[in-house]
Amino acid sequence: MAVKDVQIKDKHIENLAKIVGGAQSILYKKEDLLAYDCDGFTIHRHLPKAVVFPKSTEEVAQIVKYCHENDLPFLARGAGTGLSGGAIPLNGEVVISLTKMKRLLSVDLENRRAVVEPGFVNLKLTHSISDKGYYYAPDPSSQYCCTIGGNVAENAGGAHCLKYGVTTNHILGMEVVLPNGEIIEISTNGVLDPPGYDLLGLLTGSEGTLGIVTKITVRILKNPEAKQTVLAYFDKVSDASQAVSDIISAGIVPAALEMMDKTAIEGVEAAAFPVGHPKDIEALLLIEVDGISAGIDEQIDEILKVCRRRNVREVKVAQDEKERERWWANRKTGFGAMGAISPDYLVQDGVIPRSKLPEVLERIKQISEKYGLRIANIFHAGDGNLHPLVLFDARKPGETEKALAAGSECLQVCADVGGSITGEHGVGIEKREEMRFIFTDEEIIAQTNIRDVFNPKNLLNAGKLFPTPGRCVEVKRNEKTK
Amino acid sequence: MSVRESDLKQAPACTTTSLGNYLWSDPPDESKWADCVHCGMCLESCPTYEQTGQEQHSPRGRVHLIKSVAEGKLEVNEAFADPVFACLDCRACTTACPADVDVGGLIEEARGQIRQAMPLTGWKGAVSKFFLEGVFPHPDRLHLLGNLLKFYQKSGLQKVARKTRLINIMPEHLVEMEAVLPEVKQPVRKKYKQAGVIKAKGETKRTVALLTGCVMDVMFSDINEATINVLTRNGNDVVIPQNQTCCGALHVHAGDRETGRKLAKQNIEAFKDAETVIVNAAGCGCMLKEYPELFREDDEWREKAEQFASKVEDISKYLHDTGYEKPKAEIKTRITYHDACHLAHGQGIRQEPRSILLSIPGVEMVHMPNADRCCGSAGIYNITNPEMAGAVLKSKMEYVPEDVEMISMGNPGCMLQMALGVLKYGRNQKIVHTVQLLDWAYQKEERLKGV
Repeated sequence: MAVKDVQIKDKHIENLAKIVGGAQSILYKKEDLLAYDCDGFTIHRHLPKAVVFPKSTEEVAQIVKYCHENDLPFLARGAGTGLSGGAIPLNGEVVISLTKMKRLLSVDLENRRAVVEPGFVNLKLTHSISDKGYYYAPDPSSQYCCTIGGNVAENAGGAHCLKYGVTTNHILGMEVVLPNGEIIEISTNGVLDPPGYDLLGLLTGSEGTLGIVTKITVRILKNPEAKQTVLAYFDKVSDASQAVSDIISAGIVPAALEMMDKTAIEGVEAAAFPVGHPKDIEALLLIEVDGISAGIDEQIDEILKVCRRRNVREVKVAQDEKERERWWANRKTGFGAMGAISPDYLVQDGVIPRSKLPEVLERIKQISEKYGLRIANIFHAGDGNLHPLVLFDARKPGETEKALAAGSECLQVCADVGGSITGEHGVGIEKREEMRFIFTDEEIIAQTNIRDVFNPKNLLNAGKLFPTPGRCVEVKRNEKTK
Repeated sequence: MSVRESDLKQAPACTTTSLGNYLWSDPPDESKWADCVHCGMCLESCPTYEQTGQEQHSPRGRVHLIKSVAEGKLEVNEAFADPVFACLDCRACTTACPADVDVGGLIEEARGQIRQAMPLTGWKGAVSKFFLEGVFPHPDRLHLLGNLLKFYQKSGLQKVARKTRLINIMPEHLVEMEAVLPEVKQPVRKKYKQAGVIKAKGETKRTVALLTGCVMDVMFSDINEATINVLTRNGNDVVIPQNQTCCGALHVHAGDRETGRKLAKQNIEAFKDAETVIVNAAGCGCMLKEYPELFREDDEWREKAEQFASKVEDISKYLHDTGYEKPKAEIKTRITYHDACHLAHGQGIRQEPRSILLSIPGVEMVHMPNADRCCGSAGIYNITNPEMAGAVLKSKMEYVPEDVEMISMGNPGCMLQMALGVLKYGRNQKIVHTVQLLDWAYQKEERLKGV
């Protein structure tokens, strides 16, 4: 019954296997590859040519060099939890999985930084240093399993980025394998604002199109002295949105300011971590303030006042850490929880000015009605980062297309009110075309020109981040460079 | 929830329930994977993903493959069998999953298909058939095997085999296993055969039936003895139905659902008159509670299985819920607790055993990080997949605190595996079942009273 290893006769597979030290560190059978045909974005799928598991920067560099010399498309993958398809091997890429490079290399408490390999899981960093009173601030909801390498590629955000900033604000240095296999180091000593171009800023959020990060120096923070969390239930979405604006206007910068609407609440309550939210409310806010102890109570008082002014039905402060954790588990597993009320979902990631919240939510409701698809809203209200979750069933003919169209329309609304098409999930495959909502052709070309400097053969994660070169300008330019 | 599921329900009774490339009846249940949105929250909970870093060895990867077979994209073959059988069935993903996807159920159903499509052949097939069909379901044969083992241990043969290194003709992992086998004592099922009812000490408050387990009663009859003592001490009459049999968990894990069903039926009948069925092995308890899963396509037996499942309770939860006398004698020890997967993830029982341990005067509990991480025992996984089981055990042992004297748990498989870990990594903890410690405390109390 043994399967014949027909494909091992492929010389590329054989050579790649040699680089990573043998057949146990490479996958090439269809049955194994199938598990790599998508990431957290499941609408597009494609089989990779192979998946390799390097254990060191040198192995990554050799794989990349081999692909570069043999014109094999390739891409890097962390935990594969991305929501825009950044790790999907659209062109039958060689997938370089970094899950074996998952060590915490060093912690320097004095200078408040740590060095990790790209496959190190986000939350594990906090777990490794929490006993000493430190933590790593960027906290995407997938932090239980997503990797810091992937966070760098997507410039991941999270609930607490309202106050502390997104991933790019916490990256102090990195080691990168360039698409031709060269290894470079950028600001590894963690000096702020080094002379020359801000390559750290450029690489962070480049969605794996400029290079593969193999070592990352991150900033770590001292745990806040005090922390308080508030949960507020509203009968009207507009009241909740107004409360969000009022809190910020009152001069408070909460660590997190999250909102869920009725459909989202239905999802999280039907799933594995219910809190017991009332079923008939229209929106809830989850608000957290932290910092030095002095003044925290005053901020909480002010927040309670604002909520009451905006007709809150019920508002409460977490009584202990357990309750607080329960509220957050409920919120942070929100996307996966949609599985409990729908077989598939498509999550969007628009950003809007806070003041436009009520208007935009109303228009999303109209889009939902127009397409006959339910849309749940879970989002970082504090920084205007919306996550409309379009619920659909891929097995019903035409419904995937409808969901995509509805999602795209939501982004159009965000762009129309002066916002953006992505806050933290990246463009990937999902929002390539929507880039045109916010960039002109010239602006897109200016960016692909930068990509071509790093990635001249465009073998590394091709077909992501920018619209397909349907426009004559880029096609012409591509011809010229050949 | 899904379209196809409703179609299936309307299908005439005579059509087969095969699905895509699953050609046999009782295929993986579509409504189970329809809940999976591929978010990846399960990844870090999975011990085999931790070891391999590979998606096909992760819960969502496995669900993806299982679904792909149903969609006709994959065939049931060796390459599909590998990730499905490499799963420890530890259910940690079920705890982590935001959408409550029943990965364990899907894995077991998929294994059923694989074993029907490609039955085990050669010596693997023979060994598996010998134990799963020839031994476990037959108490007499098991007891005979136990007696042989006892003879081996007592007669000096064990010493000879170890001294002459004759034992090394066995594969390494089996040699290691041999070293930690407990001393075989008399099975309680034999001991109390004539007793009928084992009366409560003092006033009878309730009557319960005890599942003695197959291997449990041979290898760990002292735990069964302790369970009986603890139950009778707390006002329970204990009945041991003589026609009970192996719970079938090992069979279902191995993909032999047909034998699983046979054993399930026998147990359901055997415990027909019981109000409560007490189990002291997490793996067995979980299996009994999941009997209805085996009868998805048989309304009559499913109903019986559901009724039966509602009567099953783990000893720790039963004691905790019905109340038990707090022991008065002191047992001075530092102890840590390991969550058996099929207790914590499978049955949601975490606090009850801990509170029992804490109720014993003198016991000091030391927190074990990742206490609910699988130890690699997983039924007979440590025998069928020794390499992975060894790697999982190594990771587990790193979490066991240095300065404790005992590790307590509620599952015999874990006890053997953890004993192996203690031996292999030069540790010196004693491995105990939660009820054993409680029983010792009661016994000490009696002794003190006697004095």
